[in-house]
Amino acid sequence: MRKLAVDVVVIGGGSTGAGVVRDVAMRGYSAVLVDRADLGQGTTGRFHGLMHSGGRYVVSDPLSATECAQENAILSRIQSSAIEMTGGYFVTCPGDDPAFADKFLTGAAATGVPAREIPVAEALRNEPRLNPGILRAIEVGDGSVDGWQLVWGAANSAKVHGAQVLTYHSVTRIDREGNRVSAVHCTDLKSGTDVVIECNFVLNCAGPWAGQIAHMAGADPVDVIPGRGIMIAMNHRLVNRVVNRCIYPADGDILVPVHTVSIIGTTDVKVDDPDNLAIERDEVQQMLDAGEVLIPGFRNARALHAWAGARPLIKDKRVSAADTRHMSRGMAVIDHTERDGLDGMLTIGGGKLTTYRLMAEHIVDAMCDKLGEKRECRTAQENIPGPEPTKNYVVTHRLEEREHDRLDEQIICECELMSRRMFTEALAVQPKGTLDDLRRQLRLGMGPCQGGFCTTRATGIALESDHIDIERANGLLRLFLKNRWIGLWPILYGDQVRQTALDNWIFQGTLDIEHLPQQMSEVAL
Amino acid sequence: MSRVVVIGVGLAGLTAANRLAAGGVDVTLLSKGIGGLQLGQGTIDVLGYTPDRVTNPVLTLAAIASSRPEHPYAVIGAAGVHTGIEYLKGLLGAKLLVGDVETNYQLPTAVGAIRPTCLASPSMVAGHVRDGAKFAIVGLRRLKDFHPKLVAENLARSALPDGAQPTRSKRSLFGDPIAEAFAKQTPGHLEVRHLSVDVPARENEIDSSGLTYARAFDDPAFRARFAETLRPLLADGETVGLPAVLGLNDLTAWSDVAEKLGHPVFEIPLPPPSVPGMRLNAALTAKAKAAGVRMVPGSWTVGFRAGNGGILGLSVAAAGAQREFTADTFLLATGGFESGALNLDSHGLVTETVFGLPLAGLDAEPLIHGDYWGAEQPLFRVGVRVGRDMRVLDGAGAVVHDNLYAAGGIIGGSSRWAEKSGDGIALGSAVLAADSILKELS
Repeated sequence: MRKLAVDVVVIGGGSTGAGVVRDVAMRGYSAVLVDRADLGQGTTGRFHGLMHSGGRYVVSDPLSATECAQENAILSRIQSSAIEMTGGYFVTCPGDDPAFADKFLTGAAATGVPAREIPVAEALRNEPRLNPGILRAIEVGDGSVDGWQLVWGAANSAKVHGAQVLTYHSVTRIDREGNRVSAVHCTDLKSGTDVVIECNFVLNCAGPWAGQIAHMAGADPVDVIPGRGIMIAMNHRLVNRVVNRCIYPADGDILVPVHTVSIIGTTDVKVDDPDNLAIERDEVQQMLDAGEVLIPGFRNARALHAWAGARPLIKDKRVSAADTRHMSRGMAVIDHTERDGLDGMLTIGGGKLTTYRLMAEHIVDAMCDKLGEKRECRTAQENIPGPEPTKNYVVTHRLEEREHDRLDEQIICECELMSRRMFTEALAVQPKGTLDDLRRQLRLGMGPCQGGFCTTRATGIALESDHIDIERANGLLRLFLKNRWIGLWPILYGDQVRQTALDNWIFQGTLDIEHLPQQMSEVAL
Repeated sequence: MSRVVVIGVGLAGLTAANRLAAGGVDVTLLSKGIGGLQLGQGTIDVLGYTPDRVTNPVLTLAAIASSRPEHPYAVIGAAGVHTGIEYLKGLLGAKLLVGDVETNYQLPTAVGAIRPTCLASPSMVAGHVRDGAKFAIVGLRRLKDFHPKLVAENLARSALPDGAQPTRSKRSLFGDPIAEAFAKQTPGHLEVRHLSVDVPARENEIDSSGLTYARAFDDPAFRARFAETLRPLLADGETVGLPAVLGLNDLTAWSDVAEKLGHPVFEIPLPPPSVPGMRLNAALTAKAKAAGVRMVPGSWTVGFRAGNGGILGLSVAAAGAQREFTADTFLLATGGFESGALNLDSHGLVTETVFGLPLAGLDAEPLIHGDYWGAEQPLFRVGVRVGRDMRVLDGAGAVVHDNLYAAGGIIGGSSRWAEKSGDGIALGSAVLAADSILKELS
């Protein structure tokens, strides 16, 4: 057993938890973040990559709109390398109510969200694939963000300020002394070691799993209603700006250019279990139909991969529990002292990735109040370390890097232009990582071939690095292909079937990968 | 002279075109892309798994032919495959292919699995696994598709599929005594180690493809340089496993390397581009051209004209303008989903993309499932149905067009990659189709 003692334990390694541990550490508290999986493996890694301008909420949720606009400006400055300043359009499609655009412009003015109507011809000139029948177009400051870069950036910043980050540490128990939370028990899933972390305070940032964590501390049930949304990555950038439909928030109303793909999303269905998110065929069809409205011919474009995420929505008495789209997206800090007579713990729910820094500020402010201390939040002032701390992401950056090192470096993943050095360096940092852990940082296997060419290379290089043995190497390979398939088979049509056939031909046909020596057990993490 | 249009330039199309031209008809070979041979492993599979490992392919396929009526082998039959294999061997000769239809080689793959295949390049067969063999698996540092440690460590811990099998020999067709005998024996083992050498294919290039290396190995001076680097690192009695890049055009490159090293060598096929496949492709293409086959690459078929119970003409979008090819007979050898011969659209509709032919295997539910390591995906067994003369049939068993035949991967009913049957299906159906066409036209 391993023992730690800190001021604050942050539970949950999504954007909220990473933002919170950074804030706590910057205010001078000793802190440790725990997550049962990798950073950004839950909701943060399963969204559509939109850095909201606030436009989406100017009519339906003015407070969120203002928060988004302010945070968008802050994050694109302090965390520039995770964010691409694509800009965005809100477009009125044929059949949509053109009057909504007037409400939109009024709402934008009232909430401080920069927006201006532009001629339809200008929108079509800049985004030639857009439906030529659009009636109105409004330009806003949407961007796209890499959720994993965002969360790792915040976590690394927290580490600079002295925090510890323990991934693959699953919380098993939360101890109380009297009415006060006193320790968090975890199991290090990679080594099997138990870890006990004594603490003064617990900040529950477990998102859709926050109810389970609160329950462990003996709080009354917290009604987190996971709202499932599916997203589909389409090959190439069908658009270079975020394109939103200028209507009340609905399913499939946003297309976001992220890295080399465009992501359409999303749906919103109440689910019971955030660990079991299906990608339903009818929802896929719904997304393709919605895409067809924005981009005629969308169905003929190549879908690469789909995924589902669970929104961490806190139940709001005003709407029925089945209607998660209209549940409050606003953040909610639950004070367990008033509610459950439990001191030393706060739970946060709701919110959105764009406002992750602000959510952290709120919950840490609330913690400071509880502790009777006055410590200023400085997270908006200090830049987060990144590859290029003052430059925003541009989609061509890897191409530029490979042009520079092409004579010295092999390209291991051609689709995403990942070099051998990028892979070996990430592996050295996470020698116990799975190929998916590395993928989230490197985009390994996320392009058109979905791992067809790079999976065996990555496995071979990992084995040669001596961080892993042959049994684990084969296990990692098997796990990676299995996990890629989860997001492939629900959207398999057109050219991606052809790609899958080629991949099967390589893996089954040429490499006979099914007849590698029998695994003693499958690798799970 | 009678005219035949063959569509598709993979193993089936090239084989059929050669046989048809040799039979005295005028053959036009239309191709859209580069042909499947250059994407595969570059050996000739007949049957590798049922799912049990197969040692005698022709014997086992006879059993499949009788027990699985939907399988292409049920119509092609052991005799058809035998004819196809012998025809290809005769066409290409022992410099390109060795082996026989009654015995599978068990050859290491580029991840270190042991893969059954029927005919192989002579440059590969020293890798046939046998108890007590000593292998040194050698990587090239600048070639990223071959990781010798992965190959070696998997081979070293593999129980050999055919135990103490000492030699390859003809065996009875009435049983598979070798397989039966070895099932009872203690499995054999290999002694395998790995090493890498750094011999640049091109100066100042760190990321060289298999094809780049193959071209380098065509040069005797490069082979000498390579052998000088590697020879001191080898131990007595070792057989050397190398990535399959030992020469593209020079079919003696591999044996020259072996001679210069003073050790037997074997090539291990890589993911595409497939150098051994390119060698087969080049040889079959050269033979076809020599036999008078007219080759029209870059031919995207965009429509067809039917009448009098048959196909009258096929429209192709070629450079400059659309153009129609007319013929007495058409042979469809376009492959499956991998080549675009079949398409699944976003609404779930599967189509054969040249003639819109009726497809078999669509009744499986679901066509695609979510268990990657589970059962074969039924989608990839979808294809056309053929009769014994290889004419395309509809669901009721009636001929769709009197003069339309099919060969190769477009024929449904098999899991070609998993069972390692694609080449046997291609060859058997190609020779049967060619022979039916020749008979019909004579």
